[in-house]
Amino acid sequence: MPKARIRNQIRRLRFDHGEMTQQHLADLVGCTRQTIIVLEKERYVPSLSLAFEIARVFERNIEDVFTYVDGPERDGSP
Amino acid sequence: MTTFWIGFAVLGGALVVIAIARFIRGLVPQSEMRDVPMTALETLGWVGLAVTGLVTAGLGVLVAVVGVTDLQEADSARFIFWLILIVGIGVWLAAWIALRRRNGGVVADERDRVVLARSLSVESMVVLLSLVTWTVVLTEAFWDDGTVPLAYLQLLFWTTLIGGAMGRSLGIVLGYRREIDTDA
Repeated sequence: MPKARIRNQIRRLRFDHGEMTQQHLADLVGCTRQTIIVLEKERYVPSLSLAFEIARVFERNIEDVFTYVDGPERDGSP
Repeated sequence: MTTFWIGFAVLGGALVVIAIARFIRGLVPQSEMRDVPMTALETLGWVGLAVTGLVTAGLGVLVAVVGVTDLQEADSARFIFWLILIVGIGVWLAAWIALRRRNGGVVADERDRVVLARSLSVESMVVLLSLVTWTVVLTEAFWDDGTVPLAYLQLLFWTTLIGGAMGRSLGIVLGYRREIDTDA
């Protein structure tokens, strides 16, 4: 069974919000800058509460920030 | 019996080589993290690896020089044995307190907690491996005698404890270099 993946728009949203720094976002949501970095690189899937916190900072719904992607699409294949 | 020991040594050696190769490969930092300072927990993981490595090396040299029997009977050897352990624990505690003071805690966020929780599996694996190795080696070495010298039990305990701490530190360091999917 292909592995599911959570994609996100954090990097783009940061720049849309006055080029917010990773450290500033980390301070606002209560995590480290390292966690924001691995989130943007999609090497870390956050907890639901952290995902909601990030969406709240950007004043978006959670599905505007995080998207569930099925396995095959992960590699770019249909 | 000789064939058994040769097979045991070859298998053990192969496992060690594989573990070292995986370890070195896992230590290469992710490119996006090269210019970012380590988290407090990752720093503590590196300190733990260094301290447990030095303590293991120190105890290894001591056992090689004085032998296991004298380790129990000679006062000077026993003093050095305890000194190595106490200094090692002291250095680790000092690093832990310093990191806590500087960062307001060693575990800062949920990713730290995930890494810390997952490092337990590495610790458990090392502890199990240590116990299995000691059991096989002591059984084979003292089968004819029917008894095991008390000093070996002390070594068994401390090496397992230090190995567990080393495994936990290794798990932390490697945890920051792995992709973490809490959904998987």
